[in-house]
Amino acid sequence: MAVSVAAEWSELYNRFYRKQEIYTMCWQNVDLNRHKVACSNFGGPIAIIRDDSKIVQLRSESARAKLMIYTSSGVLIKSYIWDRPGGRLVNLGWTADEVLLVLMQDGTVYRYNIHGELAQKKFSFGKEVWDQGVAECIIWGTGLVCLTEANQLWAVTNLEDPQPIKLADPHLEEPPHCMAIVEPQFTVSGNLEVLLAVGTSVLVVDADGVHDHNLLIGPLQKMTVSPNGTFVACFTHDGRLLVVSIDFSKTLVDFDTQSGLPPEQLVWCGLDALLLYWEETLMMVGPYGDSVRYPYDEALFLIPECDGVRILSNTYMEFLELLSEATVSIFKIGSTTPAAMLYDALDHFDKRSSKADENIRLIMSSLPEAVKACIDAAGHEFDISQQRTLMRAAAYGRAFCSQFPRNKFKDMCRTLRVLNAVRRFEIGIPLTVQQLEVLTPQVLIARLVNQHRHLLAFRISDHLGLGQETVLIHWACTKIAAASDVPDNLLLEMLVEKLKECPMISYAVVAANAHRKGRRKLAAMLLDYEPRSSEQVPLLTSMGEEERALVKAIESGDTDLVYFTIFHIWSQKPTQEFFRIIQTRPLARDLFIVYARESEPELLKTFYVSGGQPQCCAELFLRESWNSGQSITVRQGSALQGPRVKLIEQAAELYSQTKDNSFEAKAAEEHAKLLKVQQDLEAATGQPIFVDSSISDTIRTCITLGNNRAAQRIRTDFKVPDKRFYWLKIFALATIKNWEALEKFSKEKKPPVGYKPFVEACIEEDEKDEALKYIVKLSDPQERAEAYEKLGMSAEAANAAAQTKESEILGRLKAFGQNSPAGALFDSLRDRLSLPGVS
Amino acid sequence: MAQIPSLDHAPINLVALREQAQKELIQVLSSVRGKKVLILDPKLSGPLALIAQPTLLKENGVENLYHLSADPVPSECKNVLYLVRPRIALMKLISSQITQDNIQKLQKSHTLVFCPRRTIVCEKVLEEEGILNNVTILEYPLHFIPFDEDVLSLELDTAFKETKVDGDLSAIWYLARAITLLQSQFGVIPNIKGKGKAAVQVADILTRMQREQNPDTTAAAVTPEIDTMILIDRQVDLVTPMCWQLTYEGLIDEFLTLSNGAVELDPSIMGITQPGVKKAKVPLNSSDKLYRELRDLNFGVVGQVLRNKATSMKQDYNEVTGGGPQHQSVSELKDFVKKLNALPELTRHTNIAQHLSTYTTKSKFLTRLSIEQTLVEGQSYDISFEYVEEMIHRQEPLTSVLRLLVLLSLTSGGLQKKHFDYLRREFLHAYGFEHLFTLSNLEKAGLLRKQEAKNSWQNIKRGLKLVVEDQDDANPTDVSYVFSGYAPLSIRLVQQALKGGWKAVDDLLKLLPGQSFDKKQGVTPDHGVPSREGSVREGSVTSDSAPAVDGRRAVVLVVFIGGVTFAEISALRFLGAQEGMKYDFVVATTKLINGTTLLKSMVEEG
Repeated sequence: MAVSVAAEWSELYNRFYRKQEIYTMCWQNVDLNRHKVACSNFGGPIAIIRDDSKIVQLRSESARAKLMIYTSSGVLIKSYIWDRPGGRLVNLGWTADEVLLVLMQDGTVYRYNIHGELAQKKFSFGKEVWDQGVAECIIWGTGLVCLTEANQLWAVTNLEDPQPIKLADPHLEEPPHCMAIVEPQFTVSGNLEVLLAVGTSVLVVDADGVHDHNLLIGPLQKMTVSPNGTFVACFTHDGRLLVVSIDFSKTLVDFDTQSGLPPEQLVWCGLDALLLYWEETLMMVGPYGDSVRYPYDEALFLIPECDGVRILSNTYMEFLELLSEATVSIFKIGSTTPAAMLYDALDHFDKRSSKADENIRLIMSSLPEAVKACIDAAGHEFDISQQRTLMRAAAYGRAFCSQFPRNKFKDMCRTLRVLNAVRRFEIGIPLTVQQLEVLTPQVLIARLVNQHRHLLAFRISDHLGLGQETVLIHWACTKIAAASDVPDNLLLEMLVEKLKECPMISYAVVAANAHRKGRRKLAAMLLDYEPRSSEQVPLLTSMGEEERALVKAIESGDTDLVYFTIFHIWSQKPTQEFFRIIQTRPLARDLFIVYARESEPELLKTFYVSGGQPQCCAELFLRESWNSGQSITVRQGSALQGPRVKLIEQAAELYSQTKDNSFEAKAAEEHAKLLKVQQDLEAATGQPIFVDSSISDTIRTCITLGNNRAAQRIRTDFKVPDKRFYWLKIFALATIKNWEALEKFSKEKKPPVGYKPFVEACIEEDEKDEALKYIVKLSDPQERAEAYEKLGMSAEAANAAAQTKESEILGRLKAFGQNSPAGALFDSLRDRLSLPGVS
Repeated sequence: MAQIPSLDHAPINLVALREQAQKELIQVLSSVRGKKVLILDPKLSGPLALIAQPTLLKENGVENLYHLSADPVPSECKNVLYLVRPRIALMKLISSQITQDNIQKLQKSHTLVFCPRRTIVCEKVLEEEGILNNVTILEYPLHFIPFDEDVLSLELDTAFKETKVDGDLSAIWYLARAITLLQSQFGVIPNIKGKGKAAVQVADILTRMQREQNPDTTAAAVTPEIDTMILIDRQVDLVTPMCWQLTYEGLIDEFLTLSNGAVELDPSIMGITQPGVKKAKVPLNSSDKLYRELRDLNFGVVGQVLRNKATSMKQDYNEVTGGGPQHQSVSELKDFVKKLNALPELTRHTNIAQHLSTYTTKSKFLTRLSIEQTLVEGQSYDISFEYVEEMIHRQEPLTSVLRLLVLLSLTSGGLQKKHFDYLRREFLHAYGFEHLFTLSNLEKAGLLRKQEAKNSWQNIKRGLKLVVEDQDDANPTDVSYVFSGYAPLSIRLVQQALKGGWKAVDDLLKLLPGQSFDKKQGVTPDHGVPSREGSVREGSVTSDSAPAVDGRRAVVLVVFIGGVTFAEISALRFLGAQEGMKYDFVVATTKLINGTTLLKSMVEEG
């Protein structure tokens, strides 16, 4: 530590900036001057291609340009000869998902992944752009906008579904001096806005219109919008750098750069400094007009990050950042902040000097903040030994604080391990703590797997306690793509060995991928490992494995899944084939029947016929006949039952085809016969009261209407047993109070039902005298007793009861029924209390 | 009077279960912004009343509530929210309403919430009706509804018929899903026993769901609060629901119909004579202290209990009035007033009991009971046959006849050949030919059959001691008191499962339909590497080893697949209250039923 860390800092007004080398680029013979360069932020990859708009000397290279993709440390990922049609390559740039967009002169956009493979289909800006040709283009994280040679603006703002939108026509004769964009997330309207420097003013163009700010500050040679979309940095024709608010109403900085030429690059460094690059000079301008110059003897490319700027040259990757407060407080020359004291104390401690203790005593009261500062500062270091020293200082200080939150220390160690791992030049992602926070670990992991850094991604997810499923699944899919020559069994083994690390991993997703890659057998084998039927089944059906899908769905017991498969097969296969598949599987068959009964009765009939089940078919005919009966809601006079009778007869015929259904066949025959009889009765009486009542009801109705002949005929036609007929007639006669006929009936012969029904019928109609006629004829004294009791003749009841022997069971149950009511007692109590609102 | 039962004393935390359901209901309601009209599946309104207070709807922007019907929605409100079960018929009603709105260009926004989940079938119907793209579809995953401290029901009213007659096993899956969710809250239940086909099916799906779940995050991590689950397929014991329930609660259900924890009473029953008073809904659950005491008693002793209460109150009254104020201390008066608080409950139950006794004292009822008893005892087939025949001839109410007919068939090992066709024919003649399907449904469900093999009822009855003589219903020592002498077969199975296991009665179990099983599930000892082959292993019988070391009573979840009667629940409560019993019972079921409602689901209405 001979030289102070702070010696290399630059001070702009009251802030300190540090520019440090991160990598010495591994690439060789790359001259940025000759190339178009696109660099993804958050330490992402670099894409370069020879810039054919410049006159360059071809040394020993091919005349055809190569597109090359490197990591930030200059390790070549992919290089290949650029042979896409479309004319001049206008621009290239990375999206937030690390997809490289390449815009051609004719408006075609190619999309490449980091491996130089076409990631998605190319798209085009359309005929108008094709006709006019693209002059200029700006690419940002989620879209791109291009300016045609005819000064029209087109934009694509959703790369998932690239629909070119034509922005309002700015009506320009000449191309603008320069253009810049305000990304949609920063505008009031939520739409993309393009700033065009025209004349001395600036036009704001969006899809709906053009707004002229009517300024006199121009002509502007260069504009850049700040990372948060609130300021614009402009370089004027007379060499001044202006920082104005986004609506151009306020000027915050006006700095004379003393340069007549506009800078080649103008980028924001954080939110309060700007970097201007001319050949051989890099100038930084701070918020209060201070500036620093850094001389360079080679070409540079500036990459803005959320917390600084990466400076790429042919030899180095450097990082220029605003220093954190913690770092400044520790390393600023002559600093006596607690953090600096603590850092110093560690130094003394290592030298076994007692000053260590003195230092600690001095800062005892503010020790926690000192520890925190050391931890924070460690996070901002790229140098691992410096990180370690700072963390040790923090650990040393923490030993003297009783209540420092433990997690802070642990979390920083964890973060630093991740950062150091990805910063290694082999990986080449020079992230800072702040960038990682903005990017989120999940996105970092996704970026790593995209680069096929699966093991690292897996370990990082493990280390940070994130789910490893996505990494494993991506790995498996990549493996399948890469191992096209490995036999299915072997590959399956390799995949499963790794995938089983995660118990709940979705094998279905991997299988789907294998299926897309044309490896059906592998897909099927992988699916067997999938525990969730809901995942298996849809894939199996889409793979054309309908029967297996059905088996799996049935196994799951989830009827919804079974229906899903049934409907799928139904729509895909010929009907007979569909029938065959479900016929042998009870759950599928039954569910189909349940659905079809309500929604597809005709199809169901075909199904039964093809399955040789006439009896089930008969059921459908019966249902149809009843349903049609119900649909005739208002019957005028007597509706014709012919069609219904026909349906029922058809059912009877179908029933009689199988031996086991003779009972049903007979019933259906009788049913048809009954309907005919009832129709005739309705015609004869002119009353719509017979159809759809039962045989018993029909007899009863006939008797109440006094039509004994009809009743008799039904009795014989349908072989109604005597007993039933007696019950019906007795009660029917009692309802119409035809006591005379009833008595006559009782004397026709000894009633097969005894006299009890007579008694009951009379009691029901409250005819005590009539009832008494029959009570005396009752043979069972018990019955007699009960009948008397019902009539309230307790003496006679007791008399009769004396002659009975109560059955044992009845006696037991009597106790149950005789609930002597507590009510009486209770009522009196309630009355006397007469509590309002109680009852 | 809150219809929502207090669940504070539940053996497992059912309050959390209900709160979850409330939260999800609010979520569903608030998914539609602003004022809305709610159109409710009529079958869901009862269960919802057990989940949330009616005010909750208003608080979440529901302006009006209608039951779903064929009529158009009589509301101007632009936001229409449907809350329905996934049924084809309901989809057609909704479709016609929405189509109506669209024709009139009312520009309403329609949201369709399925309870408990959306289904492919319903979506297909909506698609065919052309409205699938006009509605937003959501789910309200309401599964078990707590009916009381120890009763959970899915309220799938056709579950038994669908599984046994149609072969539609949706209810089985819903039940397994509900149990899985229960397990994710209360831990994986270590012991599972089951009897019957549906029990096997549920257990299979449970195993599968267990396997599909992430072992790290869910049930496995929770210490099991439920020790044992006993799955019983209703088909194993169809005799019990056919018998007339003789507990207080059971009788209320049989005569007055208990639905969703409440009974609708005619004002005349409650002693209100002025006209114009509408039927009152009276909630009956354990929040009513007196009901809690009475519900599980044999009705024969209910009167006595009520009388004692009334007498004691009268004595107190006499002391208060007769002794004069100078002899009363303030605290004595306070005690009396406290007792008076119980007065409305006492009035209510006296009225209900009195009303019930008008039925129970009828000789017709007693005769029927005696026939039931005769059948269960397996005596005198002929008398019973004639009785059923006469009922058909008299055209007594359909389900009432069927109940006895089914009981006759079940206890006689089927109807004698000559009677089988004869009674079926008489039945069709008396009630109409459309009941051809009713009969065939009964046959498919095993409720009615022709005598073929030997009748095993006698063996089952004797082996499991289903008929208990000389039972004192007032001081019962056995569960048979709930049917005055008949011990429900299902409850005997539960008793056997907990005492000595089912292995001991293997021969008897074989006489009943379906397989029986007894297995253990849970975390494998080598924690962290869950076996893909499934975490369920065949285990030995748990016997009646002490279930909990710390003296806590173990919770036993008894699941009745296809429905449970109140009498059975009472019997389990009685068991749980026995001295030396180490278990608390919680009953879960697809539906609270009685014989009549069970058979109604079998009846085809033309």
